Amino acid sequence: MSPELMLTKATLAAYLGAVTLSFVYLAYKDEKWNRWMLNLLGVGIALHLAAFGFRIHSFWQIPENRYFLPINTFFGALSYLALAVCGAFFVIESRHRLGILGAFVLPWASLSLGIAVCAASPEISGLAPALQSYWINIHPMVLMTSYAAFGNAFGVGVALLVQEHQIKSRKPIALCYRLPSIEELDNLNYRIIVMAFPILTIGIIMGGVWAENAWGRFWGWDPKETWALITALVYAGYLHMRYMMGLRGKKAVYVSMLGFACVVFTFAGVNFLSELHGYLSKG
Amino acid sequence: MQIVVAGLSHKTAELALREKFALLARSEVARKIKAAQVSDAVFLSTCNRFEIYACGFSNGADGPDVLLRFFEDLIGKNSSKEDLYLYSGSEAVAHLLKVASGLDSLVVGETEILGQVKESYEWAKNEGLTGKIGNILFQRALYVGKKVRSETGISVGQTSVASVAVELAQSIFGNLSESSVLVLGAGQMAEIMIRHLATQKAPKILISNRTRERAEALARNFKAAVLPWENRGEALQEVDIVLSSTGSPEPVVTKEMVEKSLKNRRGRSLFMVDIAMPRDIEEEIHSLEHVYLYRLEDLEHIVAKNLEGRAAEISKAKEIIESKTGEISEWLKALKEGREVSFKHSSRPKMPRTESARK
Repeated sequence: MSPELMLTKATLAAYLGAVTLSFVYLAYKDEKWNRWMLNLLGVGIALHLAAFGFRIHSFWQIPENRYFLPINTFFGALSYLALAVCGAFFVIESRHRLGILGAFVLPWASLSLGIAVCAASPEISGLAPALQSYWINIHPMVLMTSYAAFGNAFGVGVALLVQEHQIKSRKPIALCYRLPSIEELDNLNYRIIVMAFPILTIGIIMGGVWAENAWGRFWGWDPKETWALITALVYAGYLHMRYMMGLRGKKAVYVSMLGFACVVFTFAGVNFLSELHGYLSKG
Repeated sequence: MQIVVAGLSHKTAELALREKFALLARSEVARKIKAAQVSDAVFLSTCNRFEIYACGFSNGADGPDVLLRFFEDLIGKNSSKEDLYLYSGSEAVAHLLKVASGLDSLVVGETEILGQVKESYEWAKNEGLTGKIGNILFQRALYVGKKVRSETGISVGQTSVASVAVELAQSIFGNLSESSVLVLGAGQMAEIMIRHLATQKAPKILISNRTRERAEALARNFKAAVLPWENRGEALQEVDIVLSSTGSPEPVVTKEMVEKSLKNRRGRSLFMVDIAMPRDIEEEIHSLEHVYLYRLEDLEHIVAKNLEGRAAEISKAKEIIESKTGEISEWLKALKEGREVSFKHSSRPKMPRTESARK
């Protein structure tokens, strides 16, 4: 087994451990579980960065790949996505002391890395000539950063639905007093989306510029392009309804979840439709 | 050198008798303790209990007997032996740990008693009543009281209707320091609720009552504002929390009023608490989006659940107390034999988080 794969598996173990601890923390009100969860997550992120370093190293052994980032395969992309979700969670939670949301966010990161380890090939291949551009270091990274943020917003949204249901039921269980308040979750969900939406938009426009350079057209209704646009429109709709119509709470979460479903489809599902953007195709 | 405790509590004595003890001046009790030649003593006086812990008696005196006579002396022959309890040795130690842990309290696990034990001990220490054994015993008791609360669920969950309502409000709005409150009615329940909210620094409290004078009287006490009764419908657009406890036979907040206000609330949550009998707020309002209506029985149900939860933790608390009683008894025995031993150092337990510590 290559050092990269070994480190990636260790990372997955650390992430799964952090997920387990986050659920223990959800069930038992003891700060030590939160501390352990964050420590383990920190270890996981460090291992993940090391694994990514090894991947870059072996990627650059092929001369034409040099100085490009190895996210041209499903494995590389999923792995980076997991790293970004955890990194975003680490940043958001340490700022807001919301370790309790770990149980709602971290499972998605583990799932992403888990699929990479179990179902995707970690092999490294040479970049197709069309992809040998500095844009590959920017365009997909920017987009996946926004996806990671949307993933965090999705987790916050789930927590909001749980909390809202608790209070509406008039029979709240202890969990209700552990989760952040409805208004806090609602604001956090909104603030993450407000932050991620421009990143998504910039990422899409960058894609257009790259397409202009590489393929000679800015936009071509390739399925990936179409679905990225749909995703952006759904989130734009969310922001619009929130600003103009005061849409909040449960219904707002449903719209943002629809947006996240589009993210998942754009990221993963479209690969089977798109010739140009497939991780499976040679670009 | 045996530890003895004599006392009475809500479990053994009538309120009238407990009141007599509660009214005794501390300095008077201290003076009498010294006069009775009892040393190394601490007494604890709250509205629910009065007890004296002592372990120094003049040579040859029977400790329990001295304390019994001392009780008679305190308030005359008003108390009978059935009103009192008397423990000595490790039973007395166990009793103190139970009291400090809130296991002997009217509301199991309540935290106030721990502060009262601490304060009584410190007062006795400053008065020069305590000696080596008393000092260590009470410091251990305070430690165990904290440990039990942090390691078991004995103090988890609010146990009064008003504090449950405040906790729910926090689960909806988070920190209440930006929330405004509309109080309908100016009776006793309204006052209790406002008092609880005032501790959370809610910046704006509006009181509205059909008889304006009573609203004004209540508002003066809490720096609240008075709202004319007819304007309560419009106020629903602005406020976050509504507390209603009027004596009105008809609902004072209708679904129509709330529906109208929701148009201008832009999706902000509205928490309504109806503790009036008959109801003040129409029940169908709860089905509206962003509105959470809790009635008296909902809050009482949560209180009952919390008390049940606390009761379920009693056995865990007792285990801790039993093991700590053993440790202390060992220490006393060693002391008697002239050996010097110290307690195992364990990490300092943290106090359980209360609502004030919530973000």
